[in-house]
Amino acid sequence: MKNIVEVKNFRMDFGDKTVIRDLSFEVKKGEIFGLLGANGSGKTTTLRALLGFYAPTHGELLVDGKVYDPEDTSVVVGYLPEERGLYRKESVIDTMVYFGELKGLSNPREWALGYLERVGLLDKANEKVEKLSGGQQQKVQLGITVMGNPKLLILDEPTKGFDPMNRKLLMTIINELHQKGTAVVLITHYMDEVERLCDRILLLKDGVARAYGDIKAVRKEFGGKTLDEIFVEIYGENDG
Amino acid sequence: MRFLWKYMEKMMGNVLKVAKFEIVRQLKKPAFWAAILILPIMIGVILLIGYLAEEQDVNVNPEITEGTVVAITDEAGILPAENPYAGICETREECIEKVKNGEVDLYYYIPADFGETKRAEFYHISEGLDLFNYDANILRGILANVVGTRVDAMDAMVLSGGYEIQDNKLTKSGEDANALGKAVVPIAILVVFFMFIALFGNRFLMAVVEEKENRISEMILTSVSAQHLIVGKIAAMMTLGVIQIATLVIPAAILVFLNRENPMVAGILASVEIAPTAVVMNLILFIASVFLYAGTCVFVGSLVSTARDASSFIGPTIVAMVLPLYFMQLFLAGEPDFMVYFLTYFPPSAPIALMLRSGFGTLSTGEFLIGLIEVVTLAVVMVRLSVVTFRKNAINFDKVRLKLPRRK
Repeated sequence: MKNIVEVKNFRMDFGDKTVIRDLSFEVKKGEIFGLLGANGSGKTTTLRALLGFYAPTHGELLVDGKVYDPEDTSVVVGYLPEERGLYRKESVIDTMVYFGELKGLSNPREWALGYLERVGLLDKANEKVEKLSGGQQQKVQLGITVMGNPKLLILDEPTKGFDPMNRKLLMTIINELHQKGTAVVLITHYMDEVERLCDRILLLKDGVARAYGDIKAVRKEFGGKTLDEIFVEIYGENDG
Repeated sequence: MRFLWKYMEKMMGNVLKVAKFEIVRQLKKPAFWAAILILPIMIGVILLIGYLAEEQDVNVNPEITEGTVVAITDEAGILPAENPYAGICETREECIEKVKNGEVDLYYYIPADFGETKRAEFYHISEGLDLFNYDANILRGILANVVGTRVDAMDAMVLSGGYEIQDNKLTKSGEDANALGKAVVPIAILVVFFMFIALFGNRFLMAVVEEKENRISEMILTSVSAQHLIVGKIAAMMTLGVIQIATLVIPAAILVFLNRENPMVAGILASVEIAPTAVVMNLILFIASVFLYAGTCVFVGSLVSTARDASSFIGPTIVAMVLPLYFMQLFLAGEPDFMVYFLTYFPPSAPIALMLRSGFGTLSTGEFLIGLIEVVTLAVVMVRLSVVTFRKNAINFDKVRLKLPRRK
C-alpha cells in the first residue's frame, strides 16, 4: 500500500451544521502533506475524525489501511494537536516514559534521556513539568510527539507559540523523520513553510477541497500564483 | 510468570500501563499518605470520646425504671438469699424463657464460677441494632450495693468492677438476636465503602478532569483508547483505595489481636457472627458499589472541563449516595417503611441502603439479589457511559458540556 492516509467521501455534521461536505484525499507514505484552509474550514475536524475523536457522519477515514486504533502499536502516529499540554505535576522523565510505554517503545527511558540530552534538557529530566519554561515544555511536547519513529506525524499548527529556537528544532526533526520515511501531515497558516516543506497540499473551503495535489501542479492550475495568492483568491481578501 | 504478565499485558492493552502510572504518581504524593493519617486520628478522637463517655456510664448506677421486671439467678452466692430479684424464676433456662415471653424485662445470670471467669450474663429483648445497652450495668450497681464492705476476693472484684457482663439480646420470637454480632461484618464493609467515598471521590474526578484541564486529552488518546484509559484509571484508584484502607485496617487488626485477652475485646470477638454466604454477597455488593461510585464520578468528570466545574456536580452525587445515613433511624426501626424501600432501590442510594439493611438484618435474600443486580447493572452502564462521554468530550476544553453523546 502506498498511502498512509486515505479519506473517502468524508462528511461530518454537528447537529444541523455541516462542517465537511464530501472530502476525499490521500497522503502517500513518506511525503509531507499540507492541509490548508482558513480558521473553521474543517482541517482540525478532519484530523480528529481520522484519529477517531469524531465518528464521521459518512465516509471512511483510514490510517495505513485501517480505521485508526491507538492501541495498535504497528502504526505509531505522532500527533501534536493545536491544544496541547502536559501533566504539570509530573516530572519530565516520568511523563515521557509514560507516553513511550503507551506507544509501545521497548526502552522509553533510554529514548527519553537521549532526546532530552539532544535538546539540552537532560538536567531538567527530574524536574516537574510546571517548573519548566514555556519553550522547554514545547520541546518536551515535541519529544512525546515524535517518540517511537512514527509512520505518520500529524502536526496541527506546530509552530504556533514556538520561539525561533524551537521552530528550528521542529523543522530539523521533521526533516530527519521525513528522511527515515515518516509521512507528515502539516496544518499551518504559514505558506512559506508549506512551499518550503510540503510535497503536496489540500486547500479546504466550506467543507470541500478547492485545491488538491502536487504544489507545482496546484500553482500551475492557478496560473502560476504563489500559495499565498491562491489562498487569498479562494477565500477572498476579507476572509482568510 | 513472565509469560503470564506478557499475556495479561496483551489482553488488557494499555490498561496496566495507565494503572501503573496513576498508582506510582499518587504514591509519590505526600497528600496521599497524609490522608491515611488524618482518618485514624479522627477515628481515634471519636473512639476516645466514646470510651470516656462509656467509662462515666459504667461508674453510674443506672436506675431500674418503674414497672421493669428484673430477675437474677445468683449461683455464685454473692447476693443474700432473700434478695428482691430472686423467686421470679429459678433456673437460667426458665428465666430466659420468661424474658422471651415478656414476663421478665431484664435477666442477669451469675454463674457458680463467676470468680474465675469474671463473666456474668445479661438477657433482654432487643429491638433494632441496640448497640449500647447500659442496662447491663444495673447488675453492677446491685452487686456493689450488696457487697458493701465485705472483703473476700470475689467481693473485691465486684467492687472494682473488674468483670464482664455478657449482653445476650433476644427477640420475641425466641431466637438469639445478637444483632450487633451479625452486623459487624456488613457494617465493617459499609464503613470501608464510606471511607472510599470520603477519600476517593475527588481523586476519581481529578483523574479524569486532569487530562482536559492540562490539554493532554488529544495527545493521550492517540496512544491509548478512551476505554483503556478510563478502566486503567478506575483500576488504579481502586488499588490505591485498597492500599489506603489496608494501611488503616492492618494496624487496627494487629491491635485487636494483641488485645484479644482483654475481656471487652474478647466479648466483642465472641459475639461476632460470620456467615460465609452473607460475607461473600456483601463483598460482591461492595465491589459493585465501588464500581458504581467510580463510574459515577468518572462520568461527572467526563462531562465537565475543569475540576471546579466538577466539584459543583459531585457534591449532590455524594449527598445522594450517603442519603440513607441521614435516615439511619428508619433503618434501625426494624420493619422497613416506604422511605427505606425507596432508598434501597433509588440508584444512587442503593449501595449504602442495601449495606445498612443487610447489616441490620432487615434485607431478605430476594431483595438483596434484586438490589445487587441493580447496582451491578448501573455500575456497568456508568463505566460504559463515562468512556463514551470522555471520548466525546475529551476535546472540549473551555466549557461545561452536559449534552450526552449521540450515538451514530
